[in-house]
Amino acid sequence: MIEVRNLTKRYGGTTAVDALSFTVQPGLVTGFLGPNGAGKSTTMRMIVGLDRPSEGEALVGGKRYADLDQPLRHVGVLLDPAAVHHGRKALDHLRWLAASNGISQRRAVELLEQVGLGGVRHKRIRTLSLGMKQRLGVAAALLGDPQVLMFDEPVNGLDPEGVRWIRDLMRALAHEGRTVFVSSHLMSEMALTADHVVIVARGQLVKETPMEALTQNGSLEDAYLALTSGRGL
Amino acid sequence: MKNALAAEWLKLWTVRAPFGLVAAVGLMVVLGALLSWLMVQDYDTSPAAEQARFASADASVVINPVLQFCVAALGALVATSDPRLAALTAVPNRKRLLAAKTALVTGAAAVVGAVALALSIGAGWLIMGDRPPPVAPWDSLGDVLPWAGAAVLSIVVTGLIGLGLGLALRSTAVAIVVVGVLLWGLPAITPMLPEPWNMDASGVMVPYLVYEVAGVVENAPLNPVAAVACLLVYAAVTLGTGTVTLLRRDA
Repeated sequence: MIEVRNLTKRYGGTTAVDALSFTVQPGLVTGFLGPNGAGKSTTMRMIVGLDRPSEGEALVGGKRYADLDQPLRHVGVLLDPAAVHHGRKALDHLRWLAASNGISQRRAVELLEQVGLGGVRHKRIRTLSLGMKQRLGVAAALLGDPQVLMFDEPVNGLDPEGVRWIRDLMRALAHEGRTVFVSSHLMSEMALTADHVVIVARGQLVKETPMEALTQNGSLEDAYLALTSGRGL
Repeated sequence: MKNALAAEWLKLWTVRAPFGLVAAVGLMVVLGALLSWLMVQDYDTSPAAEQARFASADASVVINPVLQFCVAALGALVATSDPRLAALTAVPNRKRLLAAKTALVTGAAAVVGAVALALSIGAGWLIMGDRPPPVAPWDSLGDVLPWAGAAVLSIVVTGLIGLGLGLALRSTAVAIVVVGVLLWGLPAITPMLPEPWNMDASGVMVPYLVYEVAGVVENAPLNPVAAVACLLVYAAVTLGTGTVTLLRRDA
């Protein structure tokens, strides 16, 4: 479970995230929706300790991410597939991540096969397509077999087959009882994937609700646009 | 800590740049040996009066600044080559990450420095044979050790300077430029200062400190103990600045 409590991030006079509070429950895919600049990525970065909150806190399984021993065994994170050393081979990227958390090197090989990158494991990351890098990022997130997974725009760069693959993967992970928290701009995709949604705009919580409640009178896109434009539902 | 160190080790040797730096170190050892051999050939064919004015044919003195620079670049690479997002999600305890990087750079710098200097000094020893001073500067192994120890210390310190600058500046290129200024730029300027500042300032430059630590400079501004302390201050200030940046700033 992810608990976000009164989370605030200020950059000088600009408030990127403003007293945000919500909970992401296990066993569900929770979509994190909002316009560009709404504070979604900043929130996710604060959850995993990359950015320090100005106020409030984010807990994963009741602990701050930075306090987790071997965090990749608890939380899998895909925030930016480009945040890798592009001169390193795909397998070596997973090998050092595995080593950092005491995960077996064999797991890295298995995961590359699982995400369809077994044939390119000895290729340098700079030679991989955007979709392949996205799959590598997913493999890195799954490395520690974590109970909590966070994906920031995971279908970017994926072809239709890849989009379906990641949708099925997220659904399967939630079905296994894991906590899946995913941000996306693609409303149609979120409507197919998410059980629960957290919508933010201008750094503030706009709506936290089950998907069914949001879409009972129309499409997710209509509901989202009504909420984020301030017209409400 | 063990896992973080294992990860840093894997990160270092699964990209190409460190191999290039080690190759550069190896090339310098070979070129240094060639330089020693050429000097000795010249010495052997020179009249006795000229032989008495020959400089030492010990190439380790010549290659040491390049070793320092290569290891400092290695330190900067350890600090900057991987995006912080990946490094800090894998090891979010920033003190542990810093400790692993520091241990890796210290160990790698000590090994690279010790091996390169041993090879260079050993090659020089074989090439110079039983020729007398000044072309062969040492009579016994005991004469070599203070210099070799000082040189290895200076290489480790410059590795930590590179690491600290990399962490503080968050750019490999900028960190390496600053290392170049510290190792070559400032030492070229300080002799031009008016007396007595020129000697005082030159005496605390990294390249000069090596000789002061070894105790081979007459009337040096610093004694060996003070020179060691000065080298450690360089490492502490740069690594301290890098530590503050890593601990306090967002990734």
